[in-house]
Order: sequence, then C-alpha cells, then structure tokens
Amino acid sequence: MAKKNVQPAAAAAAYVPVKEDFVLLSHRDIRTDANFASQSYWKGVFIHFFKNRRAVVGLAIITVIIFFAIVGPAMNSFGYRDIVQYRNEKNKRVVAKGIEPQIPWLHKLLTGEELEGNFAEYTFLFGTDDLGRDLWTRTWYGARVSLLIAFVTIIIDMIIGMSYGLISGYFGGMVDNVMQRFVEITNSVPRLVIVSVLAIFMPKGMGLVIVALLLTEWIGMSKIARAEMLKIKEQEYVLASRTLGARSGHIIFKEILPNTIGPIITQVMFSIPTAIFTEAFLSFVGVGIVLPQCSVGTLIEDGFNNITTLPYQILPPILVLALLMLGFNFIGDGLREALAPKLEDM
Amino acid sequence: MKKLFCMLLALVMLASCAVSAVAEEKYLGVMLSTNVMSLDTNLATDGESFEVIADCIDGLMQMDADGAAIPAIAESYDLSDDGTVYTFHLRDAKWSNGAAVTAKDFEFAWKRIAKEAGEYAYLLDTSVGCVKNADAIIYEGADPDTLGVKAIDDKTFEVTLEVPVSFFPSLMYFPTFYPINEEFYNSLEEGTYGTSPETFLCNGAFVLEDYTPGTATLSVKKNADYWDADRVKLDGIKYQVVGSSDNALTAYRTGALDLVTISGNQVAAAQKDASLSQSLKVTGAGYMWYLSFSQTEKNAQNGKLANANLRLAITNAIDRDNLVDNYVMDGSLATYTAVPPQFAASSTTGEDFSADQDAFLDYVGYDPEKALEYFETAKAELGVDSFEFTMIYGNNEGDEVAKVAQAIKEDVEDALPGLVINLQPMTKAERLDKMQNDNYDVALTRWGPDYADPMTYLGMWITDNSNNYGFWSNAEYDQLIKDCTIGAYITDYDARWAALFEAETLVMQEAVIAPLYTKANANLITSGVAGVEFHPVALNRVYKNATIE
Amino acid sequence: MLKYVLKRIGMALLTLLIITFLLFFLVRVMPGNPFPSERMSAEQIANKRAEMGLDDPILTQFVRYMGNVLQGDFGKGTSLYNGAPIKTVLSTAISNSFRIGGAAIVLGTLVGLLLGITAALNKGKFLDGFCTVFSILGVCVPSYVFLIFLQYTFSFKIPFFPYFFDPTRFAFSAVIPSLSLSLFTMSTIARFTRNEMVEVFDSDYVRLAEAKGMYGRKLVLKHVLRNALIPIVTVLAPLVVDLLTGALVVEKIYGINGIGKLMVDAIAGEGIDYNYVLALGILYSALYIGIMLVVDLLYGVLDPRIRVSAKGEEA
Repeated sequence: MAKKNVQPAAAAAAYVPVKEDFVLLSHRDIRTDANFASQSYWKGVFIHFFKNRRAVVGLAIITVIIFFAIVGPAMNSFGYRDIVQYRNEKNKRVVAKGIEPQIPWLHKLLTGEELEGNFAEYTFLFGTDDLGRDLWTRTWYGARVSLLIAFVTIIIDMIIGMSYGLISGYFGGMVDNVMQRFVEITNSVPRLVIVSVLAIFMPKGMGLVIVALLLTEWIGMSKIARAEMLKIKEQEYVLASRTLGARSGHIIFKEILPNTIGPIITQVMFSIPTAIFTEAFLSFVGVGIVLPQCSVGTLIEDGFNNITTLPYQILPPILVLALLMLGFNFIGDGLREALAPKLEDM
Repeated sequence: MKKLFCMLLALVMLASCAVSAVAEEKYLGVMLSTNVMSLDTNLATDGESFEVIADCIDGLMQMDADGAAIPAIAESYDLSDDGTVYTFHLRDAKWSNGAAVTAKDFEFAWKRIAKEAGEYAYLLDTSVGCVKNADAIIYEGADPDTLGVKAIDDKTFEVTLEVPVSFFPSLMYFPTFYPINEEFYNSLEEGTYGTSPETFLCNGAFVLEDYTPGTATLSVKKNADYWDADRVKLDGIKYQVVGSSDNALTAYRTGALDLVTISGNQVAAAQKDASLSQSLKVTGAGYMWYLSFSQTEKNAQNGKLANANLRLAITNAIDRDNLVDNYVMDGSLATYTAVPPQFAASSTTGEDFSADQDAFLDYVGYDPEKALEYFETAKAELGVDSFEFTMIYGNNEGDEVAKVAQAIKEDVEDALPGLVINLQPMTKAERLDKMQNDNYDVALTRWGPDYADPMTYLGMWITDNSNNYGFWSNAEYDQLIKDCTIGAYITDYDARWAALFEAETLVMQEAVIAPLYTKANANLITSGVAGVEFHPVALNRVYKNATIE
Repeated sequence: MLKYVLKRIGMALLTLLIITFLLFFLVRVMPGNPFPSERMSAEQIANKRAEMGLDDPILTQFVRYMGNVLQGDFGKGTSLYNGAPIKTVLSTAISNSFRIGGAAIVLGTLVGLLLGITAALNKGKFLDGFCTVFSILGVCVPSYVFLIFLQYTFSFKIPFFPYFFDPTRFAFSAVIPSLSLSLFTMSTIARFTRNEMVEVFDSDYVRLAEAKGMYGRKLVLKHVLRNALIPIVTVLAPLVVDLLTGALVVEKIYGINGIGKLMVDAIAGEGIDYNYVLALGILYSALYIGIMLVVDLLYGVLDPRIRVSAKGEEA
C-alpha cells in the first residue's frame, strides 16, 4: 500500500482518495483497555461474587440444606409418615410420641448410663413429634416443599413483580393509574376468599399453592420496583438515553433496572419467609399440601401448637428456615455487590 | 435517652399501681374455649352461650348435680292423666329490673322461639317436645298464637302436647325454654336484646356485669334478688376466652384462671406434676365423634360405601383405644355404640342406655382379621379390588382432630390393603356445607346430645332427616323411631327403651356410622373451689352450688 | 396538587366499589352457609335466606347493600353475633386492633430505623452482623411464637404484665402484643434501612457533601436517610395496613377482641357470615387504598424530583 502512495511531488497537488485507502477496523477491538485484562460482564460478576467471603458462605449453607433435603429423609429408617410404635404384652400400642432428641451412644458416653424409656435404642436427632414421627426425617422432607416455595417466590418476584412495578412507574399517568388500581383490587380481596373460590375449580395441592402465590406474592415487589423507578426515571442519564432515541424497553430493563437492584434483592429475600408461612396457612386451611406431608411452615405451626409441652419440636424447622434465610441473604448481598459494581469494594 | 428513661420509669410505676389494685371479691376465673356468640335464646347455638345464659336466667326446671330435672321457677307441676297437659305452678321470682317473673314471660318466649324458627326451635316440634301446633308454626308459618302454651294467670303456665313425652320436664332446663320479659324486650331497639348488660334482663343466680358481642372477657355477678340467693356462694364469675388450648395450662399456673380445660397433650404433662394432677378432673363433654359414610351414588366411587360390608371393614379396622390413649389423651372414651354413654339413663332402672360398650362387638371393634374378611366380601360383591376415598375433617374443631384423622388413615390402610384414604382438612363451615350438600366420601364429624334421651342421636338416621348425612334408609328403622316418638311405645317407658335399643342395633349392624370416641374435658380446678357441676348434656357447667375459699 | 388528590380520591371510591362488588360476588360462591345449622330444616334455612333477601338477583342485593352502607348501616351478622348490629361489634374490635397495631408500627419503625442506621454506619463490623442476624430471625420467627415467649417470661415466670389482654388496663396490657407484633416490621425496616443507606453512602452526592465538610448526624439525617426513605416507606405501607387490621393468632392467644379474629370467625367459623366479610373487606380495602395514596404523595415530599401527581394530570 505504502508503495503505491509514493508519487512524484509534482503530481501530489490534488489527491483523490480511492477505496483501497480505507480499511475496516473491525478486527481490532478499540474498546479493549490494554492496561487491564479483558473480561465479560458476567464473568466479572462471577469473579466478584466468589471473592466475597459471605456470599460463598451463603452458597455453602444453601447447598448443605439442599443436600439434606435430598438425602436427609433417607438417612435413617423412618419414613416421613411412619409412626414409630410397637405393641406391648397387653396388646396395647406404645407410640414413640414426644421423645426429646436422643442419641443413645452419646448419652452413654456423657453420663455413663443407658438411656431409659421404651424407645431407648433409637436415635432421634431432632426428637419425635406428638404423633410419634421422627422429626429429623420430617424436617428435611418439609425442607423440600419450602425450598420449592422459596424458588417459586424468587421467580414470581423477579419476573412478575419487578416488571409490573417498573413498567407502571416508568410510563406513569394513566398506565400507572390503571395498573395500581388493579394492584389495589387484587390485594384487597382476602386471600382465604380467593383461595376457597379457586379451590372449587382447581385440585388442591402444590399447584394451587403456587397459583395463590402467583396472585398476590408479587405485589410487594412491584411496589418497590415502582418506587425505585419513580426515583430514578427523572435522572439525567435516563433523559440522555431517551434523547438519544433509546426505546422504553431498553431504558427500563437495561438502563434503570441495574440501578434498582439493591432494594429489589432485599425485597426478594424478605418475601421468602412470608411465602413459606403463606404456604403453611394454605395447607392448614386445606388447600395446600396434604397431610401427612409437611413443610417447614406447617412444622413450625405444629411445633407452636405443642410449644408448652414439647418445646424442642419447633426448633429444627425454625433453624432450617433461619439458615435458609441467612444463606439467601448472604447470596443476595453478594449478588448485589457483584451485579452493581459501584460500591467501594470494586 | 434521658427522656426515654424517664418515660420508661413512669410506665413501670404506673404499671405497678395497676397491679396492686386487685379486687378482693370472690370471683371465679373460668376459661371459655370459644366466644359467646349470642345471649338471645333464639339465636344462641353453642355451649358457651348456653352456659352464660343459664348463669343469668332460670327456666321452669333446673339441673341437679346428677343432671336430673328439679324445680326452679316452677315450684311444682301437674300432669294430666293422658300425659299431654303440663301445668306449671310458678314461684315468686323477680327480674333484675324488679318486675315479677310471670307465666306470660314463658308464653312470650316460647311463641317467639316457634315464630323465629331458629336452630333450636326443633325442640318444640314432634321429633322432641311435641308441643301442640309447633310443627305448623315452625315449618309452615302458622300463627304463633296457636302454640299449645297458655298463661292461665300470672303464676300458672299450661303446656299442651300432641302426645305424651316421657322426658318433657328435663327439656325445661334447656335455655330454649327460658322466659323473656315481653315488656322489656319490646322496649329495646330491634336486634339489641342481649348485646349488653343493659339490654339483658336476668332472673337467675347471676346478672350480666360486663359483656359486648365479640368480647374475649365477660363477667357475671351475684344476683342479690335471686329467689334462691342463699344458695349462691360466688360473688361472680369472670370468663376469659382462651383461643389456644396450649395456653390454658400456663394461664392456670399463673392463677389468672381457676377453671380451665386443657388439651390432651397437656394432660400427660399435668399428670407428671403432683400438684396439678390433684386438680385434674375429667368430665364428660357429651358429644361423640364418628365417621359418616356417604352412601349415595355420586360419592365414593359411584356409591361404593353403600356396601355395608365395606363400611363394616372400615369400622373394624380402627383401633379406638389407640385413638383415645395416644392422640386424644384427655380421658375421652372409646365408643362402640351409636348412642354414646354417660348422658341418657333410664328413668325406671337408672341404667345408662349405653353402659354396655360390648353390646355390638359382633359388628364393631378393633379386629383387623375380621375387617379383612369383611373387606374381601365387599370386594367380591362390588367386583373392585382397590378403593380410594377422601376423608374430610375440620381443621378448626380441636387440636386432636387432625391427629385422629391421620391415625385412622394409618389404621385403615394398614388393615385393608387396596383401600386408600386421602385426608382433606377444611374449615368447619366447608365441612358442614359439603355434608349438607352430600358432596363427600367419608367425614369425621361429631354430635352432642341436646337432651337426655337416646333419641337425640337415633332420630338422626331416619330417612330424610337433615342430619342423615349418609342418606341411609331403612323402613324397619323408620317405623321403630316413629313408634317411639309419636306411636305405640310413647306411654310404655320400658318398651320404648327396648325399641330404641333395637333401632340402635340396626344402625350398628349396617355400620351406618363408625362411632369413634365420646369426648371428655380434662379440667383443672384450683384447690379451694368446689361444687361446680359438670354435665355432658344441655348445660356443661353450672355454678349455683360452687364455692370458693 | 389538590386536583390530583381529588382525582385520586375519586378513583379510590371507584376502586372500592369494584372491590366491594367482587367480594359481594365471591363470598357467595365460596363453600359455606351463611346460616350454618345442623338442626334447621331446609325450609327453615330457605326462609331465613329469603328474609335477608339472599334470593334476589345479585345486582338488586348489591344496590340495596350499597344503599345501606352509604347510610352507615352495615347490617347485622348472619351467623356471627347475629343479634348485634355489625357497627357495634366492629367498633370495639377496630379500636383494639388499631391501638395495638398502631403501637407496633411506631415501635417497629423507630427501632428498625435506629438499628438500620447503626448497622449502616458500622458496615462490616460486629454491629452490622448482629443487625443482619436479628432481622433474619425477626422475619423467620412468627410473631405469635415471640408472643408466647414474652407471655411466658413476663407474665408467668416474672408475673409483671397481665397474662391476658385486659381492656380496663389497656396501655399496660397492650405492651406484650404490640412488642411481639412489631418484630417483623422492626426487622424489615432495619434491613431495608441498612441496605439503602449503605448504597446512598456510596453515591456521588454524599461524597460531595462529605467533601464539603459535612459529617455526623446532619449528614446522616439530611442526606443519607432522606434519600434512603423511599423504599422504606414503600415496604412500610402494606405492613401498616396488615398491623392495623389485626393479627389472628396473636389476638387468639392473648385474648384480644380484634379485627383479625373477627375476619377468620366470619370466613371460617361454623359458616360464612357475608355481612361481616363485606364490612371487614371494605374496611381493609379503604385502609389499603388510603395508605397507598398517602405513600404516593409522600414520594413527592421525600424527593421533589418525583412527580407522580404531575404525570397523573398530564394523562
């Protein structure tokens, strides 16, 4: 190329560029900062997340709970609905109900004495409930249902609630007005009424629980997303983006959403226990899971019903729920810092 | 911070003042399990309401400690030779506004019950009380003035019956038959009768002191003008609604309440405690829990439960001793008869109608082998090998109900391979709705006696009775019941008693229902409190003879 | 502004009408009998239904009902405390629930804010961790479990507070239920405040304020908290409505005659009391709609850039 351009000086007066003079730069990435190694956004999130010690702990907690939810019920010989019992010499049933947590060998090691009682040879890590069922098995069996509820809630919140709130807040005016009145109507009919009517048309069970959650569980999130949208949409960069001709969808989900992620993640985390207790309530009124199945929520209610006589019964489900929440919160915090890397730890 | 501290200090001081101001009167603190729904005898339907009404109003008769009818406002009564006309002679008694209690008050109240046709109006009709013309007024809207009651003068009240009713005097202690002062009632704004102490006139041992509808606390105080005032030793009763039975034991221990009913779980805990076990008193609550089987074509896989052998298989697969020993645990009795024990004694022999719980051992009991035999027969008859039924029960009807339902499921599925019972909890409202619309397979339900006669149970299984939720129909049975209410046996007490037993046998032979247990209440009573009378029928607790140290 | 508020109130009334009609319809579809009875015959029940006008076309019933409501008459219960007019029963319940719930809201919000601010100022330190664990436990432990604990400790072991609610010593006996009800609000507010403030602390304008030499309480309150308040107010609003309208289990355990218990009795007692469900539904909806209006107005006050109202007028 250079060779071709070298012309005698006299002829250089009026050079007309030709097509060959121009070369596409597409093979070179001009955005790459030569000083820092290049990495994609998601890779950055990933690295950031795993650098955060609390986030990793959170992930570990959730993993452990999922692990026990899967294998926990199979770790001893009792099924979740088995009543531990035998018949005595008078042909009367003796049921292992209300046995406090016991580990025979540990008891012997600590006190030097054998355990006493009709079921001294059994290990009940969490004790038994008032029907004579092993709480270890039931707790982890129940964790399955509640984990499912937790994930469903996250999805409902993140998809329906967030979009609803963001859209309502962004467009404002009549759109907002109508959408918010709809929220008021949905939220105002008592849940028990909606669910009872739904139960006429739908089989009772987990499906109905999820539908019931779908109906109302996103409202809190939509309110938060809307509030954030109202706060942010008047800011300069949104105006700039709009001036440059960005479409609404782009502005809402690409420009504003990342800046609302903080409260949204907090809201997701805090709606999980509410959903778990909602499930328990629905099961209690007979539209949720069917006895003798259980969930963390129903176990807490059972435990509460026996709180003065069998106080240990409420502890395992509450601890599982608290650990679940702790895990999710750590993960949430980690994600927030990783997704919106503007905090000081960047 | 300083300000906050000062405020806290002030609060604490205020609080301690409040603590020291405790009344010295001898009020008995009593637990109620549910709210008092209404003090209007026409509208009240629950035991709590009846108890409070009976504290405040006396009827013609009252219950003695054993549940027999003894005179109250009626000093005495005469019975005509044909047994159909009762003439009650009233004593001098006063309403709390000073007016005399007269026969007119009874006439007014009874006619009002018939006219309003509420829940308990049926006590007047030919299935129970047989008051003349009651059926026409209640069910066909005839003129209430045609009811067979008449105030001859202020002190004489005459009741005419269609046919003799052997247990009629014992109906008189039921609140439905209590008097209301007409003048007072009419002076009130409509719908406000019995909604406050001012709108409720009393003639009984106590007068209403503090009450609003929906309240969790209410109290009655001693009525100084009561005709039998010397007998009443309490200064009053303070009722507290305790919604969670788990809370009752602690409430009792704090001394907040003197008389509580505790749940089965707590009975075990109380028995371990020496001081508590002394205060424990188990009393019959009356009502019987049983399984109702829908026999109509549209339920239970096209009416599979219409097969008597299938029903017999289920009823023989249930270990009732296990239910009461391990799950109900409050002293409830395993029951093997269609009429529960403890409430209906023969007036000639004094023997409990259902004293012999082994009477129907051929048809009902815990015998998995026999259950399996019945099951095989049923399978052969129906040509089906597997069954799947849904059992409905109320989740707000007591802590033990869900446990009992689960235990029954385990028992039946264990004993009868091929039969699956799915549990379906629901509110009591929905359970009743489903049963009344015949939209269920098996229901865990209960019935409490309204009056001290086996008929309060046996009357339910006749064809077309609204409580015959199974839609069982048997002509022989219908005839027997008819003979006992308005037919051949009404004048011959012992023959009627025998016929009732025969009817019960029919129910048990075909396992129309599967009786489970007769509920008891485990009460804790503070030492020093004596004389509270407990009854399984009509009025659960009576305090007229109660004393407190 | 006034125009906007008036317009919103108009909309609120319309929404309320729609909600009432929906409830009016749904409650009639629900399983359960308005006249639950195991002793009345079918004709008796039919007569009672006719007497209450339940056999008329639903629109006729609705118009009649709304007419009565506009005159302040909510009718009387069909199965619940059926002698008394709903107004009298409800007024006691409302006064109890509002006072106890109100105290819980004030306590929960104040302590929650305090905890959240403390945690944010000590980010990553012990206090922050404590606040995290506290707020997580606070939402995991249901308020009634906390109530039982408080009742057991401070009414039984140390018998200072009354064991049951006593209307004659209202303030004193409201301490335990209010405290236990405030726990959830406290935890939620603490967590939101903490997270929001941590973010706001990082923003450019706070950096600028700090650079200008602002510090301490003034900085926290004037710049940081104010900007963090929007999500806090948003989560607080539904909690306020929930707490004011009563908590079933707490009311049941502590023996409080409140709205929560009344609602459950109305829906899930022996039968379904149409009139109570409707009256309580209207109360709840009106509260919810009203508080949402207040929240929308508050947004503008907290952050003048937000103009929900202006937008509303454009449309």
